Amino acid sequence: MTISRRNLFRAGIAAGAALSIPSVLRAQTVPVDARTVRMMNWGVPSVFDPVITTSQDTTDHAAAIYDTLFALDSKFVPQPQMVGKWGVSDDKKTYTFELRDGLGWHDGTPVTAADCVASIRRWAQIRPGGQFMMARVQDISKKDDKTFAIALKEPLGLLPSLLADILYIMREKNADTPATEAVTTNIGSGPFKFNESLFRPGASLTYDRNEQYVPRPEPADGLAGGKIVKVNRVILENIRDAQTAVAALQAGEIDLYTQPPADLFSVIESDPNLVLLPLYKHGHDFFLRINCLQKPFDNVKARQAMLHLVDQEAFLQVLSSDPKYTNTVTSWFGSGNLATNDENTGWFKKGGDPEKAKQLFNEAGYAGEKVVILQPTDWADGSNTSQILAGALRKIGINVELAASDWAGVSARRSKKEAVEEGGWSIFITSDTDFSRSQPMTVAHLSMNGEKAWYGWPQSEEYEALRAKWADLDAVDERKALARKMQAIAWDYVSEVLLGQFTAPIAHRKILTGIIGMPDILPLWNMEKA
Amino acid sequence: MAGFIFRRLVSTIAVMAMVGIFVFLLLRLAPGDPAAMIAGRSATAEMIAGIREKLGLNDPMPVQFIRWVRDMLGGDFGTSIFAGRPVLELISQRLEPTLSLSILTMILSVTVGVSFGILAAWRTGGLVDRLLAAFSALGYSVPVFVIGYFFIYFFAFRMHWLPVQGYVPIEGGFRPWFVHLILPTVALGFGYIAFIARVTRASMLEVLSEDYMRTAAAKGASSYAMLFHHALKNAGVPILTVIGISFAYLIGGVVLTETVFNIPGIGRLVVDAINNRDYPIIQSVLILTSGLYVLINLTVDLAYTLIDPRIRY
Repeated sequence: MTISRRNLFRAGIAAGAALSIPSVLRAQTVPVDARTVRMMNWGVPSVFDPVITTSQDTTDHAAAIYDTLFALDSKFVPQPQMVGKWGVSDDKKTYTFELRDGLGWHDGTPVTAADCVASIRRWAQIRPGGQFMMARVQDISKKDDKTFAIALKEPLGLLPSLLADILYIMREKNADTPATEAVTTNIGSGPFKFNESLFRPGASLTYDRNEQYVPRPEPADGLAGGKIVKVNRVILENIRDAQTAVAALQAGEIDLYTQPPADLFSVIESDPNLVLLPLYKHGHDFFLRINCLQKPFDNVKARQAMLHLVDQEAFLQVLSSDPKYTNTVTSWFGSGNLATNDENTGWFKKGGDPEKAKQLFNEAGYAGEKVVILQPTDWADGSNTSQILAGALRKIGINVELAASDWAGVSARRSKKEAVEEGGWSIFITSDTDFSRSQPMTVAHLSMNGEKAWYGWPQSEEYEALRAKWADLDAVDERKALARKMQAIAWDYVSEVLLGQFTAPIAHRKILTGIIGMPDILPLWNMEKA
Repeated sequence: MAGFIFRRLVSTIAVMAMVGIFVFLLLRLAPGDPAAMIAGRSATAEMIAGIREKLGLNDPMPVQFIRWVRDMLGGDFGTSIFAGRPVLELISQRLEPTLSLSILTMILSVTVGVSFGILAAWRTGGLVDRLLAAFSALGYSVPVFVIGYFFIYFFAFRMHWLPVQGYVPIEGGFRPWFVHLILPTVALGFGYIAFIARVTRASMLEVLSEDYMRTAAAKGASSYAMLFHHALKNAGVPILTVIGISFAYLIGGVVLTETVFNIPGIGRLVVDAINNRDYPIIQSVLILTSGLYVLINLTVDLAYTLIDPRIRY
């Protein structure tokens, strides 16, 4: 075999090109702008109106581009945010709020009291906290360009807390949109501006620092205090595949991933450039919701049986094999707040108590009725816990059917009040932040007002009478005492059963610092990239 | 020929209409509620009911259908229930990544697959043929996401040669566009290379055993002339059919690759729309895709006439 000079020359060029490719390509993989933070949060929101939806991605979006009248600090105490001075009349029936100086919309116009009044009215049409507030409101009126007042029929000490709910202030012309119709513009007065030209629906979304934003002088504390933006740009990527997202994080293509799956925690922990960080130490409480209208759970004994059946540790093992991210939880009010208590929690037993559950089902007269568990197949935690629950029920002889569908199917079916044979349901599993459980006035699933209640439609006039008092108590001790009474009733009635608490950590690169941890919201301000 | 093309174009409209009716009914009869998805997991029934009313989802199904057909005949494919933007705008934004990936994959698959197939047929039982058999087994049996994860791990994460994920539009420069598509193209192309190579090999083997090939060899035709002038042209019809089917399949079948490599293409648009029950997007994409399938088939049929003069329409 002979090798010609021409072939040798060709081979040399080919080998040289092949060897140089990696160095040429490598440049493409390194992020270039240290003032830009890239992240995979919940995805890219497709609904931009924080009033019309309870979706987490929309809430985070709203926190970036809008501002709030009040905001909760790290101790969950409401602090003024857009509000400068505020006061309450001697009879405690009139609250007056004055906006602080320097507030302006992203389109350059100033924020006015009229914007606030319209935003409050819109929010109050549809959100439970707002609806509760409006039942006591006589009038909301603008006093001048920077001042507005809320006149009440009777005192409501909880008002600042209610205004610190998901109440984002929009321009009056946007806030005049019916509360059932989504606002699609993204002009806020918050610390970030939505970059319309770089928006790729469903794929990526870019926020730029709002150079005109005037932060409060206090240091950042929870959602309160000065919202100081320390980066130029934040880009949300929608990386749907968890493996790819973690690989992108490891490769430095993104800086933050808020939903790493539990099975990849060990991969993240083993990477010296990455940190796993629970943003809120009490995380999310998982719970099963019971349909109180249909057999067998129209009988309180059957509902109480579920309380005894659940082995929280078995459920938590499914959510995360690492016990440092999970906790059992027994209080109706969650585990991390002043209302947390141990009243009527004798049902909790390590490993559960299937014999007691079986006995209670028998006492309820259970006669083999089908129990339909809605299993959301596109939500791994919900799907897996549904299977654990089905297994536990079958072990004590309950006739269980897992109704598998995506979350859209679960969402539609859970609204049906009919019997299971007619398309209804018995149980579905969901989760909420532990913090939410401390808000019985504003969180829908903590009410028990029958037809008006959340799915499952529990009805307890005794509980509702106590819940109505919640808003009128200012003293911490009084509220703690009330919480014990409410919990005693709640665990007797059993509209839902706690499955445990999962403090899902976020994963981020070590070079990203200053991340503020609050339940339900990931603030984009204060974070810094080295 | 003109009559043939006209009839096929008319049939395209018929196919699209049938797909439209089928998809409309399927979506309305399937469980799920876009209003519930908009309102979110913790929403109250009251919030959801308000949104349903506003979206017109409480209207009788025939009313919704007539409204949809009327708008579409006027060129309005509707507005995304979620994004609140025109569906055609959303589709056009996602078209470039999907077409880029599909076209690059086809170029790679046809080039490598046909070459591989010809070589394997030319030296049946030889090293190339055995390699093809092994490669085909691999290409058919290993799912694209496994290949994708392996590529990400090795070429992106370990070697840092290529990006893990993402897509850069071609307006952002040819090199970043191309670099971001290398791994997804190769991962997606694996199966198609194997498929096209196997069909090419089988088709070439059949032609190479024909009498006229022996005659050509006896007359002293060169290997090049025998393979590419006589054999490949005669083996071309089934190869072209397979390429056409593959391309049509690729357009709608890149979902996994788009997901693994985070490419914001049509596949992911549809999956997200299905998860959210965003009816206008699902309906429009499926109708347009069905039309595209018919047009690709028509193009393949017309291409037959170029390589086989016996075929007339």
